[in-house]
Amino acid sequence: MSVTEYDVVIIGAGVAGLTAGALLAERGFKVALVTQGEPTACLSTGCIDVCSRGSSPLSGIHDLPPEHPYHLVSEKIIRDALNYFQAAMTDMGIPYAGGAEENRFILSALGTLKTSCLVPSTMKEAPQDTKDSVHIITFKGLKDFYPGYIISRRRNTKSSVYDAGVYSTMSIASHFEEKEFFEKFIIWLEKLNIDEDKLAFPAVLGLESASEIVDTVSILIGKPVFEIPTIPPSMPGRRLFNGLKGYFHKKGGTLYWAWPVAGIEKTGKVIEAVTTPSEGRPNSINAKAFILSTGSFVGGGLTATRESIIENVFHLPVHISGPRETWFDSDYFSLNHGIGRAGIIADSTLRPAGSSWENIFVCGGILADTEILKNGCGHGLALATAHAAALSCAEYLSR
Amino acid sequence: MKYEHCIRCTICVENCPVFRVNPEFPGPKQSGPDAQRFRSDRERAEDGWVLLCSQCKRCEMACPCGVEPAQIILNEQQRYGKEHPQTPAHLLFANNYYLSALGSLTAPIANMIASSKMGKKAFRAMGISTYIPFPKFHFRTMRREKKILNRKTRKVAFFYGCFINFYRPDIGRKIVRLLSALNVDVVLPPQWCCGLPALGNGNIALAKHFAQKNASSLSNYIDAGYDIVYTCTSCGLCLMHDYPGILKIPQGKKIAESSYDVHEYIIKLINEGYAKPVFGEVPRKIAYHIPCHLRALEIGYPAAKLMAAIPGLECEILDDACCGLSGSYGFKKENELTAIQMGNRAVSLIKKTKAENIVADCGSCRMQLSGLSGMTALDPAEILCEALDIKDQK
Repeated sequence: MSVTEYDVVIIGAGVAGLTAGALLAERGFKVALVTQGEPTACLSTGCIDVCSRGSSPLSGIHDLPPEHPYHLVSEKIIRDALNYFQAAMTDMGIPYAGGAEENRFILSALGTLKTSCLVPSTMKEAPQDTKDSVHIITFKGLKDFYPGYIISRRRNTKSSVYDAGVYSTMSIASHFEEKEFFEKFIIWLEKLNIDEDKLAFPAVLGLESASEIVDTVSILIGKPVFEIPTIPPSMPGRRLFNGLKGYFHKKGGTLYWAWPVAGIEKTGKVIEAVTTPSEGRPNSINAKAFILSTGSFVGGGLTATRESIIENVFHLPVHISGPRETWFDSDYFSLNHGIGRAGIIADSTLRPAGSSWENIFVCGGILADTEILKNGCGHGLALATAHAAALSCAEYLSR
Repeated sequence: MKYEHCIRCTICVENCPVFRVNPEFPGPKQSGPDAQRFRSDRERAEDGWVLLCSQCKRCEMACPCGVEPAQIILNEQQRYGKEHPQTPAHLLFANNYYLSALGSLTAPIANMIASSKMGKKAFRAMGISTYIPFPKFHFRTMRREKKILNRKTRKVAFFYGCFINFYRPDIGRKIVRLLSALNVDVVLPPQWCCGLPALGNGNIALAKHFAQKNASSLSNYIDAGYDIVYTCTSCGLCLMHDYPGILKIPQGKKIAESSYDVHEYIIKLINEGYAKPVFGEVPRKIAYHIPCHLRALEIGYPAAKLMAAIPGLECEILDDACCGLSGSYGFKKENELTAIQMGNRAVSLIKKTKAENIVADCGSCRMQLSGLSGMTALDPAEILCEALDIKDQK
């Protein structure tokens, strides 16, 4: 038994890192996960986009350019990864609807239909076309959600405003978990006598028990109810993170907070330890293998300077096509900014290609050529590559 | 202070337990990095709401950009404390060490007064909340303990902290026996309040006074080859971060280098092959509430690691909720409602696990959680003693 000696250290607490960690811990390896802070998953909609380039995520993946990291992972692993995720989240009380066969839509806060694949059960009733009439309930003083955007785009849409007495996403969400508040709210809702087909809310219906709250409202009002994800602070993103973190703990993983990796210890082709700055003793954690899942620029995995792009932990070679002038498109809203392709190229074992380290595995948003925005593949790619990296790492450790 | 690094992602706000329940507090982003841009040493500190921050440091743990909102707020709390008259409750809690010393000397009478109706009324009149019973003073404090010297190769100086000393010396004695059972020589160095309560009540001068006294005492022991071991995670955080940090204690770095959480230290002994404890069975389910300041120590959850090695013990880790008491924070009347709401959320998560006992490293977390839930709250060291069959000494 030991705390400084682990089989695997995972760097980064996003969807990829937590998934790889849970998978390895489940196989009996001693797993530590270090993170500087909470991941960008907390800022996301909580939906798992697998590949949004068509109605079928799997055929969408098939059509991706050959250098896309999805092609490092077999279809079976992609299916396994999605099933594993759904089972884990159901276990943590945050069920997800959908499956690998077909994409589905959620209603965005701007009134558009956004393509996704696995969606939190609180969003599964979102209209799949423009026909359903929707009644939106919003909250007085809530700065992060304006139903007017949706009403301007969709016919048959109305809205009502409830005064919750508090004005932030977090406070409203936590009030929904109080019985007294909830009952008062339901009585107000019943008095509205809603005619529309469906009832929509900004995603503030609780934090720990959102799916139950949505079900209860739906039963009491007798209409399908769904949530619309908001800008951060995003409750569905936080639920996703809490669910994966809880599952990782449950499988026996150890989490180190406020642990930005500042240095490495190495011998030959093997990384032996990672270190973090500390007021006291040098803080280092040893392991036999390391999984890099620090994400891209926003996640903190990559930093761009005037001249080059740096991978922050191991200083792995970063792939970027062409000089700085080619990194950006002249159209701000273009999906073809070259910078979206920056990242680490991995080989079929998910080791960084062109580097000499044999015990580093890479997964998630830090991989090269993902073009996550263009392909709509953020969390899905994270799940799939995390599975592949965990399998490859387990094989390395059991050698 | 790295407030310029804030990208305004609001992850800290999502993690702030006070913001969640108290609309008066604008949250760590606004009180920390946002407001910092408008503050200047040449202007008076006017943001009274910085006092609503309980210094749980959850915002710092969550920040993906390395901004330290709690640290920015702590500095502003000191500035505000210096420039504004202190309430009686703030003064009392800053000086908690002296009060507790008096309470312990007069333990039976002090306890009677504290639990009487009149006493509670007097507390409330001074702005002190009484929703959970005030902890009982003990006459036989740790300071009155005989020094144990057996000349073993490993020697530690035990920084037990005020809570253990004045209210739960029995746990302190258990920890001494636990370390002795692992063949470690334990001494109790002269020590005072770590200074965190004074800091938390905006009294940095008093905090420095305590810190300097502790630092010169502890650094003597370090020079003589002792490691420092603490059990209270908040004392530990103050020793590790605030002595070299905001308090600028000259020996701060040396102390931070040689101080260990007691469970971290036991794991170190095991790793180095010095101790080989064989745990007996403890067939029970526990909910392990992670104190905010344990997370902030950046050492992982060492007690959880040890407890995982105890056969039969099922340990569910709960690290999402702050208990709400935060030392003296919840004992102030203006924070009472906030503290109760935060505590109830933590209790509801604990109740969901259907565990038999609550376990937490921090004395004030235990006080709050057992007070609000009616469940027994134990120190991890008590579980370890049970597993190693270390009995109470009379």
